[in-house]
Amino acid sequence: MHSPELLKGTLQTIVLKVLKDNGKMYGYEITQLVKELSVGRILVTEGALYPTLHRLEAEGVLKTEVVSIGKRVRKYYSLTTNGKALAKERVNEFVDFIKTMSVVLQVKMAQ
Amino acid sequence: MLQLTNDQIGYIIKDLHYRGLVLESLQEEMIDHVCSAVEKRLAKGARFIDAYQEVLRSFGNTAGLRETQHQTLLLENQKPKNMFRNYLTIALRTLSKQRFYTFINIAGLATGIAACMVIVLFVLNELSYDKHHANAERIYRVNGEIKFGGNHYQLAVAPAPLAEALLQDYPEIESAVRFRNRGSYLVKKSETADNIKENNVIWADSTFFKIFTVPVLEGNPNSALKDPNTIAISKKIALKFFPQGSALGQTLIMDNSLAMKVTAVYQDMPGTGHFVFDILISLSGLDEAKSTNFLSNNFNTYLLLREGADARALESKLPAFVAKYMGPQAAQVLGGEFSIEKFKASGNKLDYTLMQLKDIHLHSDLTAEFRANGDVTYVYLFAAIALFILAIACINFMNLSTARSSNRAKEVGVRKVMGSLRSHLIRQFLTESLLLSLFSFLLSIGIAYLFIPVFNDLSQKTLSLPLTEPNFYLMILLATLVVGVLAGLYPSFFLSAFKPVNVLKGQVSLGMKSGLIRSSLVIFQFVISIFLVVATITVYRQLNYIQHKKIGFEKDQVIIIQDAYALRDNMQAFKNEIVKNSFIRSGTITGFLPVDSWRSDNTHWPEGSQPTQENMVGLQTWQVDHDYVKTLGMKIKTGRFFSPEFPSDSSAVVLNESAIKNFGFIENPLGRKISTFTGNNPDGSPDVNSIRSYTVVGVVEDFHFESLKRNITPLGLYLQRSDGNVAFRFEAKNTKNVIQSIEKTWKAMAPGQPFQYSFLDEDFSRMYANEQRLGKTFGVFAALAIIIACLGLFALTAFTAEQRTKEIGIRKVLGASVSSIVLLLSKEFGKLIVIAFLLASPLAWFAVNWWLKNYTFKVEIGIQVYVLAGGFAFLIAWITMGYQSIKAATSNPVQSLRSE
Repeated sequence: MHSPELLKGTLQTIVLKVLKDNGKMYGYEITQLVKELSVGRILVTEGALYPTLHRLEAEGVLKTEVVSIGKRVRKYYSLTTNGKALAKERVNEFVDFIKTMSVVLQVKMAQ
Repeated sequence: MLQLTNDQIGYIIKDLHYRGLVLESLQEEMIDHVCSAVEKRLAKGARFIDAYQEVLRSFGNTAGLRETQHQTLLLENQKPKNMFRNYLTIALRTLSKQRFYTFINIAGLATGIAACMVIVLFVLNELSYDKHHANAERIYRVNGEIKFGGNHYQLAVAPAPLAEALLQDYPEIESAVRFRNRGSYLVKKSETADNIKENNVIWADSTFFKIFTVPVLEGNPNSALKDPNTIAISKKIALKFFPQGSALGQTLIMDNSLAMKVTAVYQDMPGTGHFVFDILISLSGLDEAKSTNFLSNNFNTYLLLREGADARALESKLPAFVAKYMGPQAAQVLGGEFSIEKFKASGNKLDYTLMQLKDIHLHSDLTAEFRANGDVTYVYLFAAIALFILAIACINFMNLSTARSSNRAKEVGVRKVMGSLRSHLIRQFLTESLLLSLFSFLLSIGIAYLFIPVFNDLSQKTLSLPLTEPNFYLMILLATLVVGVLAGLYPSFFLSAFKPVNVLKGQVSLGMKSGLIRSSLVIFQFVISIFLVVATITVYRQLNYIQHKKIGFEKDQVIIIQDAYALRDNMQAFKNEIVKNSFIRSGTITGFLPVDSWRSDNTHWPEGSQPTQENMVGLQTWQVDHDYVKTLGMKIKTGRFFSPEFPSDSSAVVLNESAIKNFGFIENPLGRKISTFTGNNPDGSPDVNSIRSYTVVGVVEDFHFESLKRNITPLGLYLQRSDGNVAFRFEAKNTKNVIQSIEKTWKAMAPGQPFQYSFLDEDFSRMYANEQRLGKTFGVFAALAIIIACLGLFALTAFTAEQRTKEIGIRKVLGASVSSIVLLLSKEFGKLIVIAFLLASPLAWFAVNWWLKNYTFKVEIGIQVYVLAGGFAFLIAWITMGYQSIKAATSNPVQSLRSE
């Protein structure tokens, strides 16, 4: 498990990238997917996820679609055109960041 | 995948709701999330309830759930659009819940803003005068000031040769134009057509179009007006006389004798100029314009300076100019010992100054202006009134908002407890005030639209709302913001500063008791109101005084037939014919009337002595006939008036008391003689060899022939022909008959000439048209100020009564009478008005004295005027409060006490 401190700035990037790769997803699905991809080492908590999703939606990066399944309602998130550009940008930025960090910390990254 | 049953989902929804998950936008999502998580655990074989508990734990239980909700909420609320919508909704709700206060607020503010808007239009209009001339910055008028022989003239006119001499001597002057005003003209198209009277006619140099920006529509501006007997006319006149075809090259006949060729048609001059001329006549055809006499001032002279020339520097050279050109001519008239230095040393003046074109309208009130100018004092005065009214309206707003604070204190407390920051509350209250301000502005446009015709009538202007200008709306929007923020700032800070603990415990002293600021604001409103009332009463009383003062002649029941020269040789016959009527008492033919009319003056000295600076008296010389004094009702003090029985009266003079004093004839004036120059040299200066003397046969009591702002100056009446007007004194009750029969005779004796008449008393009041306008305008705005102030007071009293319902109930139960309760409620505001009165009185006293200083003859404004104004304000306020107080006092205590 990575410490939440490290994850703090990366949640938006993760959400954007996941949505970019998978089209539309709902909240629970995102948490599960991230868990799966990180082999359980990154746990996205609901307390962090939903505020982030709502914020991205308000900023016009995400759009939503509500589907009724039985007695409950499911809200799907997907990227807008803006969002797609932003996702790419964020990922590049993060790769850059890792490179810089590796130089700073004098460690060699596994290619 | 195992689906949850509806019951299970229902359980989850209920449970989550119970745990405090209420945010609509988040609720459904969280339910789905929890359900999905539970389903996954169920699929691994867990029991529903265990799975649910486990999921909940992963959320951090109730606290974690709420934290998520709180975070989401915070993020959502930072969206400015949402916040704004929320403020707006709450504001609208509050406003519609408090209809009465909202109405008072909007009505008061809208009225105030409308008044302000109209005044701003007026001020802008006044400030825009003469700005349309492209060279306005470089155009100067030559003003003259002459003080000599007991007379003091401040003139908008200069000598005829002055312009030419200035151009020669000072290269910094690029060009000059002169105007000569010779009054109105009768104009016709051909010999056979009827005459039409044209008032705005002026003689002008051909440089006019070069100096002033007046677009020429037809004809060549460079050659127009160059030749004698040519004119330039406005589009309006062109359409009037030549509705078909071009006016250019046509001929107009002026005063039945002068045939004038039209050389240019120009665009109508705008009303915002200090002159509006419809017909310009070429000065090259006027002999007077070629005069070389530097001592008679008849020409309005304007100079166009070169770019970069310094007007002040030029002005400082003018005394030398006066010595060079006027000195020798004056010496010739006054004897060899004359010198400008000596002349000035004995307190006399002969000065010329320059006045910039754009200053003329607001800063110039001299003899021989083209038309009555505005006055910068009134511009300031009106601007001040506008600000006052706006201030009163804004104060209402502030007072009502803070007074209502008690009702909203709990709201503020609860909001704060729920986590509102002070900035949120300030924004909330500002939204409310901005909304009110917006409504008020919209309403005020409507009010101003309705009120502008009334104001135009008052101010003799043609103002209108610039509804097609985008800038207007921009200004309105800007003003809405400013007023909304100004009016809302204090209440919002005041209200948002409450401490929730105190408010919710009910410990904040509220409403009327906490009103030091509120009280001072109410006082301020009434200081302004009382001040305006005193000002209005003063203006009215001064006007009344002027109209009823003993002016030395009887102005009632005198009809004046104008432009009598159109009768030509029939003049005397006309007078005799009319006087035959039984309802006419007498008639007189003269150009000189004791209202605004022709004036001419000449210097005189006692016969037998040499004319010197010391013994010369500037005397109004009026040419009248035998019936002048009888018709106009002056009184002869000693001696007699002219009579046909004395043929020698042609060399007699009747002086007024001022003249007697100035000549030093106080003892035994009859039989004394005065002399004057009668002829001019070829260069226009008086001929020292042609002297004529007149014998004093009578003294007429001083009568006012100028505005009461001025003193009565020396005046002499001469028995000579002067055919400007015929005036008749008629019997009362017969006005209509009089006009009809005179008109009949006129039509017979002067066919084709316009019949124009006026009444002496009306002409007399017209001299005070400015004052009348001032009085009326003041009256209207003072009334507005008081109405708005009272509107505020009305609402404040209503509020106090509401606040003290329980107190009043208990007092009544314990036996208080209705009157004692009314007194109790009125006392608080009564005190404020007394204080306002004490503050306003000295202010008003200063202002009144300052204004009356302009008048030589003025009314006493006694203490009773102040008492009246104070009493009036008190009465109005009391009536306003009385309604609310009585309503509160007569209400049944059971109603107010039953709920507790």
